[in-house]
Amino acid sequence: MNARDEWIALASVEGAGEETFDALIGEFGSATATFESIRDGRFDAWRRKPLEESGRPRMLTLAVDNLHLAAAHPAERLAALAELGLWTYTSLDPDYPARLRDLPNPPAVIHGLGQRAALHGQRHIGVVGTRRPTPAGRALASKICARLVECGATVVSGLAVGIDGAAHAATLERGGTTIGVIGGGHRFPGPRAHTRLRDEVVASGGAVISEHHPDSHPTRGTFPRRNRIIAALSDALIVVEAPAKSGALNTAHHALSLGRPVFVAPGRIGDWSMAGALALLRETPARPLVGLDELVADLGYFGGPATDSGEAAAKPAGSREAALAMLGAAERAVARRLAEGPAGLDLLVADTGLGPAVVSSAVTLLLMRGWAHAVGPAYVAAGPLA
Amino acid sequence: MLATLITAVINGLRGELVRVEIDVAPGLPVCHIVGLPDAALSEARERVRGAIRNSGFEYPMSRITVNLAPADRRKRGAAYDLAIAIGILVASGQIRRGGGAWALLGELSLAGTVEPVAGVLPMVATLARQGYRRVIVPAANELEARLVSGVEVHGVEGLDDAARLVAGPRGRTAGKAVRRTAVELSGPRPAASPAARASTALTARLTPVDLAEIRGQHQARWALEIALAGGHNLLFVGPPGAGKTLLARAIPGLLPPLDDDEALEVTVIESVAGLLDGGTLERGLRRERPFRAPHRTSSYAALVGGGPALQPGEATLAHRGVLFLDELAEFDRLTLDALRQPIEEGVLTIARARGHVRYPARFQLVAAMNPCRCGYFNDAQRKCSCKTGDPERYVRRVSGPLLDRIDMQVEMARVPPRVLLAGPPPETSATVRDRILHARQIALARNGGPPNAQLPGTSVLAACAMGSTARDALEDFAVFHQMSARSVHRLMRVARTIADLDGRASVSEQDLRGAGNLRDPALPTADPLAA
Repeated sequence: MNARDEWIALASVEGAGEETFDALIGEFGSATATFESIRDGRFDAWRRKPLEESGRPRMLTLAVDNLHLAAAHPAERLAALAELGLWTYTSLDPDYPARLRDLPNPPAVIHGLGQRAALHGQRHIGVVGTRRPTPAGRALASKICARLVECGATVVSGLAVGIDGAAHAATLERGGTTIGVIGGGHRFPGPRAHTRLRDEVVASGGAVISEHHPDSHPTRGTFPRRNRIIAALSDALIVVEAPAKSGALNTAHHALSLGRPVFVAPGRIGDWSMAGALALLRETPARPLVGLDELVADLGYFGGPATDSGEAAAKPAGSREAALAMLGAAERAVARRLAEGPAGLDLLVADTGLGPAVVSSAVTLLLMRGWAHAVGPAYVAAGPLA
Repeated sequence: MLATLITAVINGLRGELVRVEIDVAPGLPVCHIVGLPDAALSEARERVRGAIRNSGFEYPMSRITVNLAPADRRKRGAAYDLAIAIGILVASGQIRRGGGAWALLGELSLAGTVEPVAGVLPMVATLARQGYRRVIVPAANELEARLVSGVEVHGVEGLDDAARLVAGPRGRTAGKAVRRTAVELSGPRPAASPAARASTALTARLTPVDLAEIRGQHQARWALEIALAGGHNLLFVGPPGAGKTLLARAIPGLLPPLDDDEALEVTVIESVAGLLDGGTLERGLRRERPFRAPHRTSSYAALVGGGPALQPGEATLAHRGVLFLDELAEFDRLTLDALRQPIEEGVLTIARARGHVRYPARFQLVAAMNPCRCGYFNDAQRKCSCKTGDPERYVRRVSGPLLDRIDMQVEMARVPPRVLLAGPPPETSATVRDRILHARQIALARNGGPPNAQLPGTSVLAACAMGSTARDALEDFAVFHQMSARSVHRLMRVARTIADLDGRASVSEQDLRGAGNLRDPALPTADPLAA
């Protein structure tokens, strides 16, 4: 039992999550030291200290019990890994997938099936979306992945039904490599309908990975956590069909906070399956996916100029003034005020000195031009005014 | 001996004739009232006996039968007391009739005083139509009864006065004004008007405010002005403290007075509802436009009308005026949906086993509601504490068809402190009211009757004279928002009113855009990132 094995054993204790893991390593220095302290009672003394004093997270009794069990027999935690033929990366390893280190709290361990090398591809693109896609969404996901395979990219997704499944399947069909990140342990590898798909992912040079011990059940909370791994493993993320509250939105937000470019396939306004995707376009720096050629160009995979798509393209200087020049006097006054910051009707009236009739009319015009959005009772500048 | 007198009953808003026949015959001293009386009417015999005795008459120790004809119609209330008492006096020979037909309305107290009753105006009008020329009414109702022309109206204070009138100058009565010497242990009587009685109804008493006291809320003020000028239905949506109710309280001070025809309609309704207060009438008519603000816990019957006594509801009391529903989403759904008929047609039909009544209810709806249960959905400063999906559910309590009938919807934010504390003083209600009056006159001259909000779809286009740029702007807007024909018409009606307020003959591009901004979807819809 070496230090790395103990690290793996400690990271896979049921009930002791990443916060607890970090606190233990922070307090005792290493997994080896932690297990020793559990055996000699220092751990118990520490965890009985008041929360504020010790700075440790609240621990479930279950976690404490499991920590004691693991400390007594650390090797048993590793047995399941060997049994399923899993390989493991720990964050101690020098060859730990570099992209994951971008996360503020990289997973302490990654258990995987398939090719370890798949995690170190040159080009990783995440493709995610709703579990209940429209036929068009499914087709689009397939087309995107087919094109990505041509560019030599590895497709990262979540092995869920819907868009995820379509993305993995289309990649495999074109002979590409794909990585599936699952939300539970390897004994609970996602939907039964995808058993064959999973086997194919593993068999064709890809990998299925999880940060959880093989015996740990997927729960409501584990899927959003899994999403951060999908986001981190991808150099860019593509969202195909995300209704309001879709998990794909969560993945997109992780990607954006990591500075990864996010592309959103836009759709018709008002479509149920597009609500989340359109909101992403509206509220985040995510960019619309307008075509496959444009996508690969933006990704820099054609040898074209690699752009840093994560940041909104800088507006050409003077575009705002040019836009303002197109407006009538009243609209211009309202537009100038909105360009300074969001305002409701009251503030617009107070700051422009115009009457409510004139301001209302001007606001309607700006809304129609797409130069302002209504957010509840307030208006926010958009388009060339933003 | 048999006596026959005439009185009336209210059905819906109309009076119907009732003949009272009284037979005083030898036999055991009992009094029977037949002809479908209700509880209040059955108790008339106790009031009548007390009133007769305390007015110095003698209650006959005989078998008294009171028949109310037509016999198949249910009779309610205490308005028959006076007719029954006079009938007993005539039938028992205590009054020798001086001749002529008398119609009598009035409730009696045990002391013999005649108390006011509801619905005198329409009842007297019916009596007049049926050819009855002499009517005795309670003194408190005299003013409204005098509105009916061609009738000799006598207001009486007590049973003895009525008896003297019926007996005529050559007749003879035994009555003495005993009640005037009665020992009053209850102290001096407060002026008990029917209005004072009715004020116990569950209607919020909103103290009026002047617009000069309301700072900020420019858009909402403007919308209110348009709504009152054009008769458009209006909804305010906003967090608590935005000033929704405050603005509503300014409505009575902005409404134009009723014209003669309207005043008569409103006075009849108030008469039937027992809301007329003799003191506030101007030449007998109620001139202020009604403003009714029923509480959100009001029952179906209270809002729509009906109930065991078949009374007009708040919707009818707001006829020709404004019905203000605060906390719209908190009203009972069935009750709200019942308002769809009057909003469309201006009448309410209440079906009963024995036929139905129609109450007029052409009111203008002004409503206010929070955007969600906690009230802070979309608020700039405070976080909405509702759970995901709750705001949408809250708003869905108001049915789509009802919302669709509200021409103008205004989303209000709380007034920023900068606006609240500085800036020019707001306009007064008087200034705004003048503009509203002026706009109404313009609309009246053009439409020849209905306010802009009720212009039929066929004449909207003709009423909205538009230049080509305005027409283009409207088309753009309609295409952009995928508007239905109904929505386009509604937008044009509101724009028409905006132009009227400005005194312009044609509707401009700016009027149309302004109107468009007052029809923003102001309510929560599924927000993708709310989770």
